Amino acid sequence: MTTTTTPPTAAEVPVQKRTSIGKFLVQGGTTIALIALVLFFFAMRPDVFLTFTNVRNILFQVSILAIISGAQTLVMVVGDFDLSLAATSSLAGSVAASLMLDGTSTLPAILVALVVGLGVGLANGFLVAYVGLSAFVATLATMTSVTGLAYLVTEGTTLFDLPAGFDSLGQGRVLNIPVPVYIAIGLSVVLWGLLRFTTTGRKWYAIGGNVEVSRLSGINVQRGRLLAFTAAGLISAVGGILLAARLGSASAVQGSDNLLFSVAAVFLGMTVIRSGRANLVGTMVGVAIIGVMSNGLNILGVNSYVQQVVTGLIIIAAVTLSSVRTRER
Amino acid sequence: MRRRNGWGATVAAAAVLTTVLAGCGSGDSGGSGGGGDDSFKVIAFTSGNQTPIGAWWVKAVTQTAKDNGWDLKMIQGDFDFQKMNPQVESAIGQGADAIFDGYTDVASIGSIVTAAKDADIPIFAMDSATKPSDAFAVNITTDQQAIADGTLKEIETSLGTLQGKNVMVIGHDPHPGIRLRSELALEDLKAAGANIAGGDVQKVKSPATGRTEALALVTDYLSAHPNGLDAVWVGWDDAALGASQAITEAGSTAKVTGCDATSEALAQIQSGGAFLATVNQPWPEILDTVTQDLTTFQKDGTLPSENFQAVDVTVVDAANASTITPSDKLG
Repeated sequence: MTTTTTPPTAAEVPVQKRTSIGKFLVQGGTTIALIALVLFFFAMRPDVFLTFTNVRNILFQVSILAIISGAQTLVMVVGDFDLSLAATSSLAGSVAASLMLDGTSTLPAILVALVVGLGVGLANGFLVAYVGLSAFVATLATMTSVTGLAYLVTEGTTLFDLPAGFDSLGQGRVLNIPVPVYIAIGLSVVLWGLLRFTTTGRKWYAIGGNVEVSRLSGINVQRGRLLAFTAAGLISAVGGILLAARLGSASAVQGSDNLLFSVAAVFLGMTVIRSGRANLVGTMVGVAIIGVMSNGLNILGVNSYVQQVVTGLIIIAAVTLSSVRTRER
Repeated sequence: MRRRNGWGATVAAAAVLTTVLAGCGSGDSGGSGGGGDDSFKVIAFTSGNQTPIGAWWVKAVTQTAKDNGWDLKMIQGDFDFQKMNPQVESAIGQGADAIFDGYTDVASIGSIVTAAKDADIPIFAMDSATKPSDAFAVNITTDQQAIADGTLKEIETSLGTLQGKNVMVIGHDPHPGIRLRSELALEDLKAAGANIAGGDVQKVKSPATGRTEALALVTDYLSAHPNGLDAVWVGWDDAALGASQAITEAGSTAKVTGCDATSEALAQIQSGGAFLATVNQPWPEILDTVTQDLTTFQKDGTLPSENFQAVDVTVVDAANASTITPSDKLG
């Protein structure tokens, strides 16, 4: 039997090679960027960058962002996003601090703050899933109201002089590693397991992939979106409580930069896996990039304005990679 | 059916709007007493009403207006000039005798200044510019050089000398007062022979995240330069608290100064940690002076002889911290 094959044209061969390299860069670009950043900063300051103290600093600095980003990941898995997460975290921290200053014990105060976060998430989920508002409008509105509530709770001031036991949640160390690092890692593992191994997680991915197909497949889309927003609200409250404990104080707007960075981290993470969807491992790579970059540039003494420009450029690069990835699919 | 609902909604909306407008109209005429009455009409505005000092100012000016029988229109801008400036300009268009600007930088209110000049209404201000400006009949603020001098003296006393010491300066450019005092502190430190950590003013991007930004900045600097700081001069207390926390966590002996005399800063100073000193700015006294200028103008139309005053401040350290009313507890 004779087979006839058409040999590739001269023009096709290099194109194929470029495509392979391009695919490699697109698929591994974010992880490569992280490794490149680590190597770059290590090369610039080998005596400092990868020391135990500095790595611990990086982990400490990104631990709360990792928690907020984990919450953002859940919402983005179902195809939405939440603009109110940072405001919810501030409100939760403010509520906990306010209650403790009014004499409530630490544990009940934390529980109430968690319920507040849960409630905001529930409201977001209800507005998006059942009322039919776009996530942008709904969470923008709740962000505005929640920030106002935080101002009311704090009376526009910074609440401080919190109980030592509460502060130790954010400032204490176990085996010389700050407590928030353990909490961030623990929560991340739980969320990773939830998204990867449970029916709920798979349903959320299905909803994020195609709402109509999910509905026709018998998935309760409304409940799925409600749950994702609610969980995100609860988790962001954990982040806010830890931030208040970390700083030993709470104000209406502290941690507001976590909104932008959490979205950036999820977008960065979306380029890590083949499907180009929001995923927990990728988000943590994104968080690591943001943390390493901030720490490294600080160590090199780079102006904070330049740092902001670089952060924006990296987000653009990530979104570009993500869109290329989506087109390839 | 849809059409009927649409008309119904339109009619309902029109009815609500009419009621609201009617309510507003009656409220306005009742409040102002009409355009022909003799009440002294003052437009007061601030963009910083969400800050503790801004919130105090709103309350204090409202009370002052009651005490003096002014017809006050208070406009609160929430740092949103796109919202606030047209509101103030609209109020100017309706007529007023004087304008009172609280804590809103002259650079952000160009359109208000123009409208006020066109209407020949003087603007009385507090902490609205760091230099004399024709925009104001008077602007009273605090002496930025005194703030820089007082805090640097505290650092010098603590360290013995500034010569050869490693000092970081943390500022925030969008705030004119912080920007000016940071530059003054930098110049003075250089003149005294100190080494400036990072070579220049380290800039915090947002006041909302000033504490966490300063915390990360100083933590990272100390990570790269263990024992590399003798002091950190910070332009305002919130960021100074972040710097102080970073120093404490790193086990450094460096000292920190701030400005504002917030209750948290005062507590830190009294605890004897890294936070060495802050500065109390006499806002109630400044308000009294501006109020006096306004009442003089109300009586006989006399404007202040000078359009700019920079008043002295009080440096607060462990010795006098307990005697100071915190700036976030003024009212």
